[in-house]
This record gives sequence, C-alpha cells and structure tokens, in this order.
Amino acid sequence: MRDAVQDEIIKQFDGLEWLDKYGLLISYAKELEPMDEEFKTDENSISGCQSRVWIRTYKEDGRLIINLDSEAMITKGIISLLLKVVNNRPPQEIVDLDLYFIEEIGLKSNLSPARADGLASIIRRIREVAEREAN
Amino acid sequence: MTDFKKDFPIFEKEIYGKRLIYLDNAATSQKPQYVIDTISDFYRSDNSNIHRGVHYLSEVSSERYEKAREKVSDFISARNPGEVTFTAGTTDSINQVARSLEPILKGNEVLITGVEHHSNIVPWQLAGAKLRAIPIDADCNLLTDSIEITDRTKLIAISHVSNVLGSVNPIKEVTEVAKGHDIPVLVDAAQSIQHLPIDVKDIGCDFLAFSGHKMYAATGIGVLYTSERFSDIMPARGGGGMVDKVTLERTTYLNPPLRYEAGTPHIAGAISIGAAIDYMQKIGIDKIRKHEHQVYSYARQKLLETDGVMVYGNTKEMCGAISFNLDNIHHYDTGLILDKMGIAVRTGHHCAQPLMRTLGTEGTVRASFALYNTKEDADALIEGIEKVRMMYA
Repeated sequence: MRDAVQDEIIKQFDGLEWLDKYGLLISYAKELEPMDEEFKTDENSISGCQSRVWIRTYKEDGRLIINLDSEAMITKGIISLLLKVVNNRPPQEIVDLDLYFIEEIGLKSNLSPARADGLASIIRRIREVAEREAN
Repeated sequence: MTDFKKDFPIFEKEIYGKRLIYLDNAATSQKPQYVIDTISDFYRSDNSNIHRGVHYLSEVSSERYEKAREKVSDFISARNPGEVTFTAGTTDSINQVARSLEPILKGNEVLITGVEHHSNIVPWQLAGAKLRAIPIDADCNLLTDSIEITDRTKLIAISHVSNVLGSVNPIKEVTEVAKGHDIPVLVDAAQSIQHLPIDVKDIGCDFLAFSGHKMYAATGIGVLYTSERFSDIMPARGGGGMVDKVTLERTTYLNPPLRYEAGTPHIAGAISIGAAIDYMQKIGIDKIRKHEHQVYSYARQKLLETDGVMVYGNTKEMCGAISFNLDNIHHYDTGLILDKMGIAVRTGHHCAQPLMRTLGTEGTVRASFALYNTKEDADALIEGIEKVRMMYA
C-alpha cells in the first residue's frame, strides 16, 4: 500500500545525483532532534552499524515514540527520514508498514550486509519493539 | 611516471560513471592480467590434484605448485623451499603457529605491539596466552628500548607494517633483542610483502606470515615461512597429503613443508602467488618501491597540508596506508561521499580496536596505496576531501 509520507520522500530524491542525495540527507540530519547524552548507552546502541546508532522508545497515548541518533551525518539523515515514516504511530501500524522508500531512493545498498547490515539492523530493532508493544 | 594501471583490467571499469581511484589496497590489491591469465590457464590446461597421481596432469600441476613455492622461497630469501608453507592467508598462518605452539604458549605470554591487527591478537588469546604490548610513542614509533622480556615471554609477534598507519616497525631491532633471550619472533608481513624487500635471514625471524591477495595474487592463499630451527613443530592440522605412515595407534608425518599442508591445497592460488612475484620482479622491486615511495610521500604531504585533516602516526619509515580524519566529520560519512566520487577507501577501526583506543578515535578513513597508484590518484583524493568538507560547511 502506498504511503503519503514515503511518496513525498521519493519525490524529493527523484532524479538527484548521488552527491545531491547525500547533500539532502545531510540537511535532513540537521533537522533531527539530538538524543540526550544520558540515553546514548551501550544498551540503547544498535550493533551492526559502521557508525554508532542509538535508539530509545516509549509509548504515549497508544502510539510508539521512537528517538534515534547517530554519530555520522548520512546515517542521521537516513534515520531522520525513517522516523518521518515510522514515528508516532500505533505499534501495529509500524509492524504492518512496507518501507518501500528505502529501495526507491537508492539507499538499498545501505541495507545490505556489505554495509555491515546497518540500516537493516535499525529497522529490525524498530520492528521488534513495535511487535512487542502491539501484543 | 609509468602507469601500471594498464596491466590491471579492473581500471577499465568506471564507478558511478567516474574513473576508479582505488585506494583500498591494504584490504586487497587488484590483479594484473598476467595473474588472471595464469590462474585461468592453470584451470584450462593443467588442472589436477598434486603429489598424488601417477598421471601426466598431476605431475604438471605438482611441478607448477612446487615451482611457485621456490619462487616464494627466493622472494623472501628463505634458506630453502622447505621453509615455505602455503596457507589460506596471513590470518590462517598466524592461527596455525598459535595452534602448533599452544602447549608452550598456554598460560604464558606473547609480546605484541600497540598497532596490531586483530589477526595478530586473537589467535594468541585462543591459544591461552596473555598479551603484552611493546609501547609506542605519540608518533606511533615502536619503543624497542622498552621491550621487557620475562620468564613467561614465549614469543614475540609483531607486524612489519601497520595496516592502519603505514608505520614500519623496526623488526630487526626486535629480533636482535629476542635473540639475546632465545625467544622466537613471528613477523606479520601482510602489509609489507607488497611494498618492501623481505629477507627472512636478514630479519632473523622464525616465522613470517603474509597473504597472496594483498600482493596481486588470488584470495584464499597465503604463506607461512617457518625457519629450519622450528622444522619439527607439530602440525596445526591433520589429514591427507601430510603423513608418512598412519595406523590407528600412531601417525608419523612427512617433513616440512608438506607436513603443514593437510588436504588439497589452493593449487591455483599458490601458482598465482608465483605469477604475482614474476610480475613484480619483471617491473623490478626497487622500481616499485621507489615509485610507491614517491606517491605515498606526496599523498601524505598533501593530506598534512589540507586544512581540517588530522593524519595519524608519523614514524621514521612509512609505506602503504595513511589514516586520517576530517575535523568534525565522521569517518563513515567521508568514506560514503568519496565512494560516490569513484574513490575507494576504507573506514572504521580496520580490525585494530586497541590501536583506535590509543589514537582516541572510533575509527579513521584509510587510503592505502599499491604500485599502480599515481600522484593523480592522490590529487583526486584531496579534491574529494575538499568536496566532503564543502558539503559539511
């Protein structure tokens, strides 16, 4: 099923050269609200990423709130996009989401094991939390 | 300046529509047409198992395999080809030594340096040894005056050249100290065999390990030099091709090197090392070294002169790799953006986490050079770095 937020992201990246795509990701990275240092613990870090990534989640009014942060700007840009799609939704909706924008904007290589499985690990972690919260 | 890229077909390829600037040679080197042809010719016309058959092809492939061993032996100035064992690579070579020496190492100590790759750390830990590092100074020079040998020190295992910094360790100074205490020395030559002349007798080491794939040969093949002095150590692995007599009660082994090559070896791989040596010798080792030194020094100087670039390590002699970071820009970001400009570097901890802790960083960007790299490649890297900095401005 198409999703308006993902379609909007795809439109923005459409036709861009790689360096412009990265430029856009960097500007998205700057929009991401930084995580408080106290939450950047080993427990909250996601392994398998080339740059360190931290996740923090909690439920509010039946919706799952997700904070993500990273040391690297491009990773931050990607997670900033990811959050636009998945954040602040009922857990079941997150579980059911088809994250097709990643492949369509050409970030699929960031999902492959060759990139130390980074983005895939982040998505897996989000899904795990959402599944747990949905039940 | 001679452009050796023409010998390497991969450079005909464009990456993202751009010329490939390959600066990840410390990870693996590209292969010259001559090596590729040698491998495919072997499979096309001479393929057979070695040392086993009575038939014609088996004899031909055995001869080619042993010829490759002789070439390696000459290349590293071993006393005889019997000191040369083919392994799966540097990591495998070191693991085999660790396994063979385990009875001596267990509960005792192996002396390493502060710049080691995990492959010269973990095998010793698996053998039950404790590790102690010979310290380095702020420029990453190995402080050989500070080598401290105790009763428990049973081996010194050091890299010749750091895979992260490109620093050349004064291995002869280390073997000199070791000799005084009659302690064997293993040299990890994974990052030196392709850059510096190696003479095992002159170095005075007992073991020397390197990989084929970093010296223009195939992956999955490597070498372990074991000095005659240790020709009676127990093999790390048992199987076919390495035994004299086998009964259910007792087995006797062949003499080295066959004793250490259980099972069917990577025959084509071994032959590819021979071909890679032929290729390098045809150019001339001194010529390669001179050319690489020029390009490496040029690249390093340029990086040092570039604003906002932090270059790690500054030892008396350097070659191969240069590690750096850009101020306030994560190494992963730098690597991703350079990639899209057709520039292949490596980012991260480079399998040297203890060194990263010493340097006070999570990781670095590493540009590493081979004989086909040129000053133009270094210029492209600097241009790429300027572009990264602009994107973050």
